[in-house]
Amino acid sequence: MLDLYIPMLTNIKSITSENKVNDIKTFEFVFQNDDDLKNFNYVPGQFAELSIIGKGECPIGIASSPTEEGSVKFTIKKMGTVTSQFHKSEVGDVVGIRGPLGNGWPVEDMKGKDIVVIGGGFAFSTLRSLTEYILHKDNRDKYGKLTVIYGNRDSGETLYKFDLEKWEKRDDIELVLTIDREEEGWTKKVGFVAPVVKEVSPSSKNAIAVVCGPPIMIKTTIAVLEELEFGDEQILNSLEMRMKCGVGKCGRCNIGNKYVCLDGPVFSLAELKKLPNEY
Amino acid sequence: MVDIKNENQKIEEKMRNVARDLLKEKKVDLIIGYSEGTLPLASAPVFIRDEQEVNKLVWNNSCYVNLAKYLIPNIRENINGEFVDLKVGIISKGCVARSIIHLLVEHQINKENIIIIGINCNGILDRRRIEKDIGAHEITETEVSGDYLIVKGNKFEKKFKFEDYMNELCKHCKIRAPPISDSLKDNIVGECQEVDSLEDPFEDIIDFEKKSADEKWAFMNEVLKDCTRCYACREACPLCYCNLCFVDQNLPTWFGKTSEISDILIFHMVRGLHLAGRCVECGACSSVCPMGIDLSLINRKINQIVKDRFDFVSGLSLEKLSPMMTYKMNDKQEFMLEEN
Amino acid sequence: MQEKIIFKKEIPKLVKELTKEYVFYAPKNVKGNIEYKRVNNSKDIELEFLNSKVPPKEIVFPRMETMFTYTRNGKNIEIQKPKKVEDKNIIFGIRPCDAHSFVLLEHFFNFGEFKDDLFLNKRKNTILMGIGCNTPRNTCFCTSLEGHPFKKDDMDIFMVDLDDRYVVSPISDTGKEIIEGLSWLVDAKEEDLEKAIELSKKAESMISTTLEIQDSYDFLDSQFSDPIWKEISETCMGCGSCSFLCPTCTCFDVIDEEDQYNNRGRRMRIWDTCQFCLYSLHTSGHNPRDSSIERCRNRILHKFSYYPTNYNLIGCVGCGRCIQLCPVNNDLRVILKKLNEIQKKEEKTIVA
Repeated sequence: MLDLYIPMLTNIKSITSENKVNDIKTFEFVFQNDDDLKNFNYVPGQFAELSIIGKGECPIGIASSPTEEGSVKFTIKKMGTVTSQFHKSEVGDVVGIRGPLGNGWPVEDMKGKDIVVIGGGFAFSTLRSLTEYILHKDNRDKYGKLTVIYGNRDSGETLYKFDLEKWEKRDDIELVLTIDREEEGWTKKVGFVAPVVKEVSPSSKNAIAVVCGPPIMIKTTIAVLEELEFGDEQILNSLEMRMKCGVGKCGRCNIGNKYVCLDGPVFSLAELKKLPNEY
Repeated sequence: MVDIKNENQKIEEKMRNVARDLLKEKKVDLIIGYSEGTLPLASAPVFIRDEQEVNKLVWNNSCYVNLAKYLIPNIRENINGEFVDLKVGIISKGCVARSIIHLLVEHQINKENIIIIGINCNGILDRRRIEKDIGAHEITETEVSGDYLIVKGNKFEKKFKFEDYMNELCKHCKIRAPPISDSLKDNIVGECQEVDSLEDPFEDIIDFEKKSADEKWAFMNEVLKDCTRCYACREACPLCYCNLCFVDQNLPTWFGKTSEISDILIFHMVRGLHLAGRCVECGACSSVCPMGIDLSLINRKINQIVKDRFDFVSGLSLEKLSPMMTYKMNDKQEFMLEEN
Repeated sequence: MQEKIIFKKEIPKLVKELTKEYVFYAPKNVKGNIEYKRVNNSKDIELEFLNSKVPPKEIVFPRMETMFTYTRNGKNIEIQKPKKVEDKNIIFGIRPCDAHSFVLLEHFFNFGEFKDDLFLNKRKNTILMGIGCNTPRNTCFCTSLEGHPFKKDDMDIFMVDLDDRYVVSPISDTGKEIIEGLSWLVDAKEEDLEKAIELSKKAESMISTTLEIQDSYDFLDSQFSDPIWKEISETCMGCGSCSFLCPTCTCFDVIDEEDQYNNRGRRMRIWDTCQFCLYSLHTSGHNPRDSSIERCRNRILHKFSYYPTNYNLIGCVGCGRCIQLCPVNNDLRVILKKLNEIQKKEEKTIVA
């Protein structure tokens, strides 16, 4: 990144509503400057600081995979000042991006292993990036078995329906979708993510589990993974924190001596256990 | 001649006895008071739970923190798995008791959980002013002799007359012990005073009043210029208990947070307005300001306007509502009427 | 290079010459508070002072700073980068503890892949012309942190106050250049140098606070949740006094300001503190540091545990400002003694 605090300007190319209540949308951004696009080399799991110039900035995980060229996608939920402003934006509006930031999923170290992707709710965005990356023809043979378990409150809340449909048709991915309660017309699994993981019972041999979701889901899922004999080094988490600078200078995203924006947001369970319980 | 040291010792003794009895008889779970500071002219608030520790409580003329600040949020402790509101005894100068009374009027604390341990405050020293006066010397010890404070340090010694070097607000204070009323008689022990009404000539702001509007503006700019926006004044004030202060709101963002003079002025003026008819003039805000800014001027001026228009002084009675919380049909409202 | 002498009556000449090329900051009496302010007239300099209230970090890391400005043109936005600061600064009269804080600040902003140029450009252009402390305060504890009231390593030029004159020692290359440029300075005599050494020893003996501070405190979970943290933080009010006036605290907030009537705006950074409740509050409402216990603990551990773990330097210089200015007299010296108690508890358990 050339200028630490100066955002690169982009325009909104498309806005897709992802859920029924319309408070989660995926935004596609195109860089105004071609050089910026060339320099924006990211890895799944990284994030960027998105600016609505004049309102503020927020850290959002990158939802698109680096294999999807020409633009970058972010999935944003309407929650506070800046995200509400995003939801009022239109195609063509100017948005600033600073990034890519953070450490991302360790895609190099994950090569040759079975990958179990477990997501809950809205936290699935960087997992989409990871899954698309692994499924790409240039990468698929470098990874072993790919299992994706994705749970939501209800079918309306499930994100990336278009991508999920594509993935279901493939035979090099085991896709398991679940919702919390029975719903008319839903033929797939019903239940919270943790019991579904137990049911699917992925093998921990030479596997990495990637877990993202609300705190309670992470806690219960990790308990199940430990039962399935996943070691602390085999379970990866992506954390959230309040961030401002995104580059480890403003100080606020620290957990112990680590900064979530620099040393994270991806941490293995082994690393987390060494850190104070303040997140 | 006044013997401050003697006065202080008597206050201390009475205060400790009351506190000890309250803890012994289990009438309170916790006593909040002042303890000896680690620096000369400083004191540290202290929480005491054991009657053996009661001798930690002190009274010196550096007890500037308004202890009522610690009552919100409610002090709770986990006792056998359940969160229980503690019964608190608070060492109260007149102004501290007034803030407690005001918090009761605003329904922020429960009467059953408070015991006001009244003391007859003999004034708080203006520590920042003393430090500014002695310049590049460090005070290593202090001594009280008669009605003088003697400060000593490395090769220097200086005397300060108590009544001259007290906080400006303390010089004009007329409510030195908690104001007693019928509805409070079960909650006050120790010293207290009856207050029917309060005459206040507001002499301290006469000079300010005489200035023209432009002069007042220039004066306030000069006084507030050094503010670092640390919010010590807001945190020290018991009546600034909002969960989300107006400066911290961002949906919408009302005012700027920078240390530009326009942002600084807005913060202090609006905070002053939020305290209109509520400020009990304890002076904690000025005492805790690291830059030594005298914030009392704004609050005194606003309180004078409130007294003038609504004949109200805060923190004296549980029955009277603050004018900003209610209205009367004969309230002056010239600002709403047209020019003619 | 040989030490020189500046007579105090020559200070006006010094200021006149240095202000030709440099922005000259010196201690100034501002309504009773000593602050490092820009000075053009030597009359404004206050030479009799212990230390400033606001640390000189303010000069290289100001209370508010523009990160960029922007203008709107219909739907388009144009961003203007802040102009690179060309001014060269001299901070006259900086104390050894504050000079050491500049080392810590620079280390932090320069660390890792991301370099904070807003700070580093100013720091590069700032020269420290400091004075040793003849009378350290009771609250000073620089010697417990490998500092010294006469430490000169972190300065460009180091001076000793001999009442009517200063002994001037150039330390860095830049310092030597400046002293050479002041060709009218006379050489220091042997007795001047001896007096300076005497004052240094005297100053060291005057430091009354000695603390046993470990190179780094590494706590296990059990100590992290020790009840002593509640004791330490019980009366803390959560204001920003300790952080804002700490020479090594660097946390900042980022805010966007818009001037709608003129279609322009700016993004600024302002001082922030981990003691504010808002500091780590998530938009969802979750706050990892929800009470003063966690926040106080975070600040102390950040300076004495996390910072040393990351950079091999202790994040405190022993200036004592936090002790002087805390509204509730939360004394860092007391807290550090309690930290040592916690550490000893761990050792006892391990031995047992």
